[in-house]
Amino acid sequence: MMLLARASMGMIWWAFGFSLLYALHGLGCANGWISVSLAGGSLFRWILVGIWLVLGFGGAIVIRRAWIMPVGFERSLAVACGIAGFFGTALTGTPLMVSSTC
Amino acid sequence: MNALRHHRALTEIWGTPRGWRGTMISVNHSDIGKRFILAAFAFFAIGGVLAMLIRAQLATPDSAFVGPAIYNQLFTMHGSIMMFLFAIPMFEGLALYLLPKMLGSRDMAFPRLSAYGWWCYLFGGTILIAALVLGVAPDGGWFMYTPLSSKIYTPGINADVWLLGITFVEISAMAAAIEICVSILKLRAPGMRLDRMPPFAWYLLITAMMMIVAFPPLILGSILLELERAFDWPFFDPAHGGSPLLWQHLFWLFGHPEVYIIFLPAAGVVSTVLPVMARTQILGYGAIVAALIALAFLSFGLWVHHMFTTGIPHMALGFFSAASALVAVPTALQIFAWIGTLWNGRPELKLPMLYLLGFFLVFVLGGLTGVMLAMVPFDGQAHDSYFVVAHLHYVLVGGFIFPMMAGAYYWLPHFSGRSRVPRLGEAAFWMILVGFNLTFFLMHLTGLLGMPRRIYTYTDDMGWTWLNLLSSVGSFVMAFGFALFALDVGLQIALSRRSRRNPWGAGTLEWAMPIPAPAYNFASQPEVADRDPLSGDPLLALKLARGEGYLAQARHGWRETMAVDSSSGAIDHVVILPGNSRLPIVTAAVTGCFFLSVLMGYYWMALLPVMAVIGLGWRWAWALGSRADVGPMAIGKGQTALVHREAAGGPAWWGSIFLLVADSVLLASLLFGYAFLWVVAPNWPPPQTIDGGLGVAIMTALSGSAAVFLARRSEASGRQGSLGMAGQTAIGAACAHGASAIGLLVIGITALPPPSNHAYAAVAWVLLAYGILHALVALLCAAFVRARIGGGYISARRFREFEITRLFGDYSGMVILIILLCLFMPSIAL
Repeated sequence: MMLLARASMGMIWWAFGFSLLYALHGLGCANGWISVSLAGGSLFRWILVGIWLVLGFGGAIVIRRAWIMPVGFERSLAVACGIAGFFGTALTGTPLMVSSTC
Repeated sequence: MNALRHHRALTEIWGTPRGWRGTMISVNHSDIGKRFILAAFAFFAIGGVLAMLIRAQLATPDSAFVGPAIYNQLFTMHGSIMMFLFAIPMFEGLALYLLPKMLGSRDMAFPRLSAYGWWCYLFGGTILIAALVLGVAPDGGWFMYTPLSSKIYTPGINADVWLLGITFVEISAMAAAIEICVSILKLRAPGMRLDRMPPFAWYLLITAMMMIVAFPPLILGSILLELERAFDWPFFDPAHGGSPLLWQHLFWLFGHPEVYIIFLPAAGVVSTVLPVMARTQILGYGAIVAALIALAFLSFGLWVHHMFTTGIPHMALGFFSAASALVAVPTALQIFAWIGTLWNGRPELKLPMLYLLGFFLVFVLGGLTGVMLAMVPFDGQAHDSYFVVAHLHYVLVGGFIFPMMAGAYYWLPHFSGRSRVPRLGEAAFWMILVGFNLTFFLMHLTGLLGMPRRIYTYTDDMGWTWLNLLSSVGSFVMAFGFALFALDVGLQIALSRRSRRNPWGAGTLEWAMPIPAPAYNFASQPEVADRDPLSGDPLLALKLARGEGYLAQARHGWRETMAVDSSSGAIDHVVILPGNSRLPIVTAAVTGCFFLSVLMGYYWMALLPVMAVIGLGWRWAWALGSRADVGPMAIGKGQTALVHREAAGGPAWWGSIFLLVADSVLLASLLFGYAFLWVVAPNWPPPQTIDGGLGVAIMTALSGSAAVFLARRSEASGRQGSLGMAGQTAIGAACAHGASAIGLLVIGITALPPPSNHAYAAVAWVLLAYGILHALVALLCAAFVRARIGGGYISARRFREFEITRLFGDYSGMVILIILLCLFMPSIAL
């Protein structure tokens, strides 16, 4: 089981990030966090974008950790899932940059 | 002992008595698997007849064939039957039948649980079909949206039949999911590392894990809606702080992964059958496994695409639209791996291959319309139209039925021991393919012309007449194709000549046995050194029959099978499985009494079957175990291993872990609902929140923590052989769990507003009920351990029951803390 957990770490990271962004978005919209403006956007949007970037950085670390595993099936899975998780985080977070917040 | 005497001895141990008694008590995985498959096909036929009635109604405008009330029942039951009584049970049946054989094992990890799941499925399905016959079938659509399914708009028992009947059936799905996970991770042939597993096992492992996470939200949603309907607890009523959208979230948290739960086992069939038909090996084994893992995770990030038109903010729509498009990537990766496999090999156009080609055509088209619907602006246009009906049928029929038909023809010789009748199957294939595309391709056009789904009739001037007529004609062609398939299978079983062993020249272990398979699968268990053991050693079946593998001895009447390390496949221990028993059918019948009592509104009477289930559960666990130590036992090839009762990490421990994972997902879904209502629902904050009770809460938390501590002390004493001390601390732990349960009840009675006042109070009461239930379960576990010590079932070598008790005790203690925090933190913050 630990093998599966280690191999899936990239996707676990994506799931965590996706849930975090969705939850924060819901909370922010419900509580009017959008009303504080900053640098041509809302403070809320910049916070979400900042978290997204941190998640992307975390995804890169997951790939790096997978890369230095001993060569074998587990490493292959971990690297593939790490890359999938990283691009998943990048793509599913793009609405932060382009769509209206609430 | 020669091979024939060995066969007789093993059949005596693993076999099932003939006649009704055998039918009632069998727990053998082949029997249960075959029953699931046959029953699922019967339900498929019923669902198909309902589809014919729907198409008959829609064939012409202004049709008076059936009225709107009947029509609502027809489409609701068609969807519900196909999803819950056909697709999931069909794959469960195939998994139960095939997995042990493919993994080189003799049975699944929990044979009685398989049998219990089977009876729950049969009884639950029967309730639903009986409701249809009696005219009180569910009629709110297969996803039961509130407020349509709430008491005010569905006052009869129609919605209750769905909520309770489907939940009853889901017990079997959860049982199968846990069973499949543990069996794949532990009960493999020695030497079968994870990367040597057949692809089908990977697909089933990922699917079963998805089920463990996906089904609890629906079970929770069904419980909440039933509570609302029965006792006016307003979870989904906006006038009292509820939200209909909460139901949609809970339903689609299950509903979207469900699509992949249905598709992945069928994709596993493709990855098994395709390389054999192409006379090569699967291309990109590792990439396929990685794609499966990615698909499993991504499928949980798509549920909101079913809710694009509910007014969710654009940014959130964007998240889910992107994830919905992204999921096409790992799916496409598998498609390319299959195409590459075909390219790499020398494909033969045998009947299973025909169905696989049909799968490619239909499923890829369904996938493409799926990407179209993932785009929010397009979905806004096509939502709830026949375009969506066409898409979902292309995905589900293409992604499930065509591969399963390929699998049916591929494995039929294994089931029946006979070869197929020529040509009939090909005729059935073409009728199904042509009929399907005629029916559903045209529905894309009907949808784009604006025909909404679920309307019972239409007028001629809408311009949908000829499309609907052709769709209806196509559906009847398809139905005749399925009838021909059934006839073909019947003829094969009844009349055809015997098949030779391994007729396709496959390399997987299910063909390394006589066909039809004996009850024990393998006379001795193989040692596996690569992914296609039979290709590497064509004489393997003979060697195993001669007893040249593991566990070749039939001894003490024990049902023995090997357990391995979950990753490396190294020998771990020997599992002694329970034999035939009446417990599964009796427990399922009593469980059914509970659901029927609630369905009829006899709520207090429902407590009787609950008590009976507790008693039967106790008996279930008590029947296992031994009063004597066994120690290392010979397993063949000069090696020894411990029995599971004396080894760490046995099936029961793993099963408990997966059960608690499912349980914690249910709690997480409830907390999601609580947070969702706080944030999104109207009429919040609630007019009245928890008032007082903090002192009792602190005492309850301390009591829960004390129970955890005492359970750990009890385990430590048991390990050291101090059974007297272990028993006393177990009693202490049971008392502390009992005190926690009482504390939670007191908080509810003294500090919470009545649950029918507001959704806040209703959710808070459900949280408390969850905590009380788990404290009582932990109490029973601790009491059970005390009784087992007294009964002589526990020694310094046989102390594994302590570990499971500790798991449930720890979980209960943690849950109590979480619940108390969730109840008291918001009111303190307010």
